[in-house]
Amino acid sequence: MSDWRIGVDIGGTFTDIVLWDSGGGQLIIDKVLTTPDDPSRAVLAGIRQVLGTADIQARDLGAVIHGTTLVANALIERKGVKTALITTEGFRDVLEIGREWRYDLFDLDIAMPTPLVPRPLRQEARERVGPDGSVVTPLDIEALRPVIAGLKDAGVEALAVCLLHSYVNPAHEQAIAGLLAEEWPEVALSLSSSVSPELGEYERSSTTAANAYIHPVFRGYVDRLVAALEELGFTRELLLVLSDGRCVRAGVATRYPIRLVQSGPAAGAEAARLFGELAGVDDVLCFDMGGTTAKACLIPDGQPERTVHFEVARETRFAEGSGLPLQIPAIDMIEIGAGGGSIARVDQRGLLQVGPDSAGASPGPVCYGAGNQQPTVTDCDLVLGYLGADSFLGGRMRLDKQAAENAIAEHLAKPLGISVAEAAWGVHETVTANMAQAATIHAIERALDVTRFVMLPIGGAGPVHACGMAAKMNIDTLICPTGAGVASAVGMLSSAISFEVARAAPMAAKSLDFERLGAMITEMDAEASDLVTSAGVAAETVTRRLSAMMRYVGQGYEIEAVLAPEVIHTGDKAALLEAFNEAYRRRYGRNEDMPVEILTWRLAVEGPRSGLGQSLLARASGTGASPKPIGHRSAWFGDGFVETPIHRRADLPSGATIAGPAIIEEVESTTIVPPDFDLSVDRALNLVLTRASPTGKGK
Amino acid sequence: MSAGKQAIDPVRLGLIWRRLDGIADQVAETFVRAAFSVVVRDNYDMAFSLFDGQGRQLTQSKRSIPSFMGTLPHTLAEVLAKFPAEKLAPGDVIITNDPWIGTGHLNDISMVRPLFRGDRLIAFAASTAHTVDIGGAPSPSAKDRFEEGLTIPICKIVDGGVESPVVLDFLEENLRQPSETLGDIRAQFAAYRDCDAMLNRLLDEEKLEDLDAIADEIIARSEASMRAAITALPDGVYRDGFTVDGVDKPLRIECAVTIAGETLAVDFAGTSDQVPWPINCVLNYTQAYARYAIKCLLDPHAPNNAGTLRPITITAPQGCLLNAAVPAPVWGRHLSGHYVPPAIFGALAAIMPDKVTAESGSPLWNVYFAGQKPDGDGNFVKMFFMNGGHGARPHGDGPGCLSFPSNVSNQPIEAFEHQVPLITTEKAFIPDSGGAGKYRGGNAQRIGFRSVSDQPITMTIRHERVSYPPRGLLGGGNGSAGIDLVNGEVIPAKSRSELQPGDVVTFHTAGGGGLFPAEERETDLIKADLEAGLVTAAATRETGR
Repeated sequence: MSDWRIGVDIGGTFTDIVLWDSGGGQLIIDKVLTTPDDPSRAVLAGIRQVLGTADIQARDLGAVIHGTTLVANALIERKGVKTALITTEGFRDVLEIGREWRYDLFDLDIAMPTPLVPRPLRQEARERVGPDGSVVTPLDIEALRPVIAGLKDAGVEALAVCLLHSYVNPAHEQAIAGLLAEEWPEVALSLSSSVSPELGEYERSSTTAANAYIHPVFRGYVDRLVAALEELGFTRELLLVLSDGRCVRAGVATRYPIRLVQSGPAAGAEAARLFGELAGVDDVLCFDMGGTTAKACLIPDGQPERTVHFEVARETRFAEGSGLPLQIPAIDMIEIGAGGGSIARVDQRGLLQVGPDSAGASPGPVCYGAGNQQPTVTDCDLVLGYLGADSFLGGRMRLDKQAAENAIAEHLAKPLGISVAEAAWGVHETVTANMAQAATIHAIERALDVTRFVMLPIGGAGPVHACGMAAKMNIDTLICPTGAGVASAVGMLSSAISFEVARAAPMAAKSLDFERLGAMITEMDAEASDLVTSAGVAAETVTRRLSAMMRYVGQGYEIEAVLAPEVIHTGDKAALLEAFNEAYRRRYGRNEDMPVEILTWRLAVEGPRSGLGQSLLARASGTGASPKPIGHRSAWFGDGFVETPIHRRADLPSGATIAGPAIIEEVESTTIVPPDFDLSVDRALNLVLTRASPTGKGK
Repeated sequence: MSAGKQAIDPVRLGLIWRRLDGIADQVAETFVRAAFSVVVRDNYDMAFSLFDGQGRQLTQSKRSIPSFMGTLPHTLAEVLAKFPAEKLAPGDVIITNDPWIGTGHLNDISMVRPLFRGDRLIAFAASTAHTVDIGGAPSPSAKDRFEEGLTIPICKIVDGGVESPVVLDFLEENLRQPSETLGDIRAQFAAYRDCDAMLNRLLDEEKLEDLDAIADEIIARSEASMRAAITALPDGVYRDGFTVDGVDKPLRIECAVTIAGETLAVDFAGTSDQVPWPINCVLNYTQAYARYAIKCLLDPHAPNNAGTLRPITITAPQGCLLNAAVPAPVWGRHLSGHYVPPAIFGALAAIMPDKVTAESGSPLWNVYFAGQKPDGDGNFVKMFFMNGGHGARPHGDGPGCLSFPSNVSNQPIEAFEHQVPLITTEKAFIPDSGGAGKYRGGNAQRIGFRSVSDQPITMTIRHERVSYPPRGLLGGGNGSAGIDLVNGEVIPAKSRSELQPGDVVTFHTAGGGGLFPAEERETDLIKADLEAGLVTAAATRETGR
């Protein structure tokens, strides 16, 4: 029986739509141009287009799943609404004071992040709750009426409420919500105890304020989209992907829009998880390189690494500490300022420096001919022969190679006293090494051995740099999946309907109150399960993941210990401690003889994953014949130009093998196979690249 | 094949250099995440640095405290004087907190771990971390260093991979919170282990036997960069001098910066003599902050290593406040040492008006609370940091409450209240605290604590800028002075007192100074300040704008 679903991802240039029949296995992929003024127009146009191709109606759709960069963009471009904050008396400046440290040690002129709520709109409530949740000063609710009237008059549209210690006792925040329901029901309200119930007043205020700030914008967008889908005849509730790759009903997402800040990239990681599963590999390093930034995400044992600390809208490109901190569950990714548009220069030490500043998509690299004169990574890739001047974006855009060469000669080759090709190679190597290093550090910090991972490049520039990066990381295998060009949309279709709740409940391991814990976790379960089952997931098909954030008493950072739910019900303290000891040992290589405590409990309730993988597999067909190149061009691989065959990806059937060097072109990207790599095409039409002579590592 | 003796091409050098920086950052993060003290993990009062086999500094972690990264080279030199290379073995860790060898007071423990490649010494990992308690009875009235706590002479705390029970027992017996301090020490052991593995892996992959050739290049290039920056300044002697609070009487800081060709010398002759109060600063700490200030002004975007320091000489007469002699009390050495950067900025303001900042609300303020835990669970000694306003910058206002010249974060109030029986009453900007100017100084903060203990809490403070506020520069106005109050009554800025149950202590840190005359301030900026309430109308009238 047919069960049609759609995944839609809005990118900078294209909006990707994937239509899939989870019953019959049919898969239709399409792209339309993004409409930046109102992104929902492109979404609708694309949906109409694929429905037409499949010859079905919107009412036949079982699900539409959507991811968006709207939230991140609204924060970066400061395009939210006028937002106010109510906080505990005496603390309205916490949001601006932040953590009081300089994120650059030597630069006396650093820009500090401007708070989303300006000082006049930061108001105070007379109240105080202590660290144990006891009320120190009762809430003076009456005094808030004029405050609220004043904010109304000031034209405020959204309100964040963040009171001290509300993660332990939310009563005062809830009382304020009650007052607002009476006095100002139309304001977009965010309570810190529900958006981010975790310790740390600055980070919690920042998260809550950001949620409020984008709330009306996001809700407006979703409402428009939902209305348009209804008009089209779609009868189900729209689903949205969160920053942790989980998927929720639009009604839930609009309550916590801040959780969508990394929606698109998280779906990309979900796709990588799926592609890895299809290729039969457990440990995947997803590497996404676009025009401005590169992101890497580790997926050990098919589970993307997760985090609860996030920073958005950094003032100084990518400098940690220069942005707005968010406490939200997210897939853990590292983002660095390395993309096709990254600018290369010779610094005052006489060394090559690439990025983090970027020419972006506009004006873009020198070879785009749109006015930029500073050589970029893409210019170097063009000069090295990796990109074709006439085949870029399927020939839709001609690149000016001469201009790229001139810029490299003037800005890099001459000052360094080397040839243009050597300079271009230096840039390519430097940016590749920067990414390799960042990804390696990311893995080491998570106690993962990156060499056992398979790299999975997605994004336009990823496959150009992937092999070089893998070699530097001592990774021997890469998989370039089919469908990588629409990875996020594919990821949306494969992501499970799911929700994670966290509850702070500081407790010493020696005096655990299992009864209280059991009750709390039952409550958390009810909340998360309801959100999942109400989206149409059968209760008996959900799975649960319970974990405790634990540390030695006195430490400030927790380690996540994953627990079987029985541990709580049976009160098995030994199993709890062993889970912690093991996780700690993995990270720090030792255990201490010290008492242990638990800070926060996390519970994720997850519906079953879709069978999208089988459908992707079924599309593959092949003969195993040796493919013929469509042409040659000379490409530089370290010590000279080599005449290199060019293949069209669409021509490569499963079973085909090609020895490096080779260039594989498709519309969205180009895969570079260096001389020390070989390529084969697997049964799912993935390109599998293997390092022919791994250095220093036994195979 | 060894590439060690060949010339390193610039592309490869850049890659290796970045990886060394990356190692320092990763290793520091391991330390911070495993740390047991709030001062390390929330306040980041620590540094992690990497040195080559000859003891030349190569790099440090991004979140290192400026003073510590600057004092570590001398610490390592002293360690090597006692334990030359032939006396070091794989797995050794050497420890010390001697103020004259380390950071100037006993509360910073420095450790050095030699790193080996096979049996060859190739590098040193070194770190410094603040410990809130080091035993003894440090107080604002201490008369010599012996009152101030336990001195750990240079010794091996780990010998060939085996932790020394003697050293650990000494520490355990002499500290009020041994589990916190020893926990931090062991967290650094975990960090060294990571550092060792990462450095050796880097050398494997680069097919290098040691760091020598790389270090030569790194240091030479950084030195050339600093020399070029100095050469760009006009030769001459530039001076500044100012009065500071002191303890029983005001004191003078005097500074002369001499620029001659490609070298720069700073001398503090004329500075007051050392005093019998714990505000004396050792030369190593003075030098660290002097170099830091010069680096910020002259060459902020180049890396910082042994090469950066070569063209610079820092001197101060023996026995003066900034070069105190043994056994002067030095517990609050930053109360003098933090004046070093503003003295250098003041001296160079005339020739670098587009680079200097006005004075910030520092020396850094903090407060110690000590007492019995409410559940009878032993003692607590906790420290809370509070920054003043940052001085106005050449292209904009000083940010409110931002750490300078140190770089110590605050800690979350919600976390602090879980550790001490105190309720924070407020944490807010003080209006009109930033000095007026074309660019205004950053606002200071007012922060208060009420005791909810049923027993007295011992409170120790040592605060500067109460009599002499941060100066404005190049025509800018001064920031506001600080003040300390208990139940609304002013208390001495350097004092130890008992907070009784229900008492409220309130601290007003100092505001940043302004830069350039207030008449030049844009009207829009004045309006914005008035609207935000950071400046009041009365104050605007007073300053003429």
